[in-house]
Amino acid sequence: MEFRDEERVFITGNEVVARAAQAAGAGYLFGYPITPQNEIMHHWRHIASQAGRGFLQTEDELSAGFATLGAVLTGKIAFSATAGPGTILFQEPLSMAEAMRLPLVIIVQQRGGPSTATVIYSQQEVTLTCFGGNGEGLRIVYSTSSHQELYDYTIKAFRNAWKYRFPAIVLGDGYQAKMREELILYDPSSRAGSRIPNEPIIGGEQVVHMQNAFSVEEELGEKLLIDLEDYNRAIPVLVEHEFLGGAGGRLLVVAHGIVGRAARQAVKELQARGDRVNFFRPITLRPFPEEHLVKACQQSGNAVLVAESAEGQLGRLVRLALADQVLTSFRSYYRPGLGITSEEILEEARL
Amino acid sequence: MRHWKVVAAGEGGQGVQSMAESLALAGYREGWKALYMPNFGIEQRGGVSLAYVQLSRAEIGSPKFLTANLVIVFSRRSLERCRQYIGSRTAILYDSSSLEMPAVADQVIGLQSYETSAPEAYPLRTGFKPAGEKVEIPLDKRLVAVPAAELARQRLHPRVFNMIILGATAALMDTVDLGGLKETLEERFSRYFKRDPQLREQNFKGLELGFKLAAREKNQRIPLQEALTD
Repeated sequence: MEFRDEERVFITGNEVVARAAQAAGAGYLFGYPITPQNEIMHHWRHIASQAGRGFLQTEDELSAGFATLGAVLTGKIAFSATAGPGTILFQEPLSMAEAMRLPLVIIVQQRGGPSTATVIYSQQEVTLTCFGGNGEGLRIVYSTSSHQELYDYTIKAFRNAWKYRFPAIVLGDGYQAKMREELILYDPSSRAGSRIPNEPIIGGEQVVHMQNAFSVEEELGEKLLIDLEDYNRAIPVLVEHEFLGGAGGRLLVVAHGIVGRAARQAVKELQARGDRVNFFRPITLRPFPEEHLVKACQQSGNAVLVAESAEGQLGRLVRLALADQVLTSFRSYYRPGLGITSEEILEEARL
Repeated sequence: MRHWKVVAAGEGGQGVQSMAESLALAGYREGWKALYMPNFGIEQRGGVSLAYVQLSRAEIGSPKFLTANLVIVFSRRSLERCRQYIGSRTAILYDSSSLEMPAVADQVIGLQSYETSAPEAYPLRTGFKPAGEKVEIPLDKRLVAVPAAELARQRLHPRVFNMIILGATAALMDTVDLGGLKETLEERFSRYFKRDPQLREQNFKGLELGFKLAAREKNQRIPLQEALTD
């Protein structure tokens, strides 16, 4: 299955992820099945057998995560995919990746929670993916809103995980996983700045001592300072967002992922009616595009409406980013575990 | 109509997903913005299977929507599942050989004969229409009956039931012609068609039959034409 330079396709989100990982040059997927991400493993297995890549179904998510870390240590581009309760188990390998600065890449297709809940859809894994570990959440989390973005940001997740040496998560959901829509596949190696700087981390001539246990507080404190400095330095380069509108707005609608897509549609319709409503969608949830949100908020009369399929997980990030702003209003449309349509947001946002 | 919002519902195994996926793919091939999404809850272990299809000339927002402009009902029980998507201007295509007119006429909502109700029918606080609320359906205007199951059984093969529905849907929507539908099936099922050319012929006949039936209905009834346009 070789890539032509560009190929227009109509496929499911899970297949998009597998094709993106292939295009990015990933060599291995270690995974444990869970709905709604199973087809990522399914498609990857086909790619593995046809394109000489590696695939292993492990005994659980812990094993999948640590096997991925093992492959990464030897310089292989490797990834895993999970959802819901699986994302909880993945916190341990994710935390180790944060501690040892390993480029772990995971695709998370959110399902309803807590616990087993639904296999369908939610946006309830925002806090878990951004801050789930026993650390400071030094991760890169991309929230995608279309199949094209799912492709683009899966590729980007590999590149930036290896470049900055922080774990990277592509945060999709059950809807994105299962739906079909159009996108353009391309060969990223033909595009500038696309090379993934992967190299063996251990196993060379030099003995490498990697540490994730420390005997004194100060030793850990010093190590964390360095990691935090690295992370903070990367923030301006890493943060991404979408903004639709301009100065003189009366309201800013904030949403991410697939709900961002519903919100964008609603705002476009309001704008077409002459209503000055603006739209902001964080693409990176971690690091969060705080400065851009502040600016967008100021352009929108300091009035904010947050919509998400969770009870304020995005809302908390927004409030934190706007902590120094005097808001004229903060409204929420929280629908934990439920899909949100463009019509609903239109109804909430209109005068 | 520039933005089609379609819900299809039927029993698991009736070919709802296959039909809906083909409809979306056919639209995509004709240059429409297309989005297909299956409902993939526990009905995979029995029950009603739902699919959402949108075809638009402009960008498509959320994969789900509040009100459909076309609802396709494959079985009695699936009608109950669809009622939240039925608005005052929604056209309804149904299989009249498994869904009798009297049941539709006076009790589209809240049919007492159901052995089970979909789980989604219960959580009234999260956006579903209250159980007691009747949705007004002006029968003369928006209902299209196609005896698909019976025709498939008598004239073709029971399995091409969903292709009759697909043909009828395409005729109502006027987004894809018969040629485009056939090319779509050819693309999706070429492997099976090669193995068994009979299969191709049966499926194509099903499409043609459904298309012809619905096209006739549509041409003869001005109120239906009104329901199907903006």
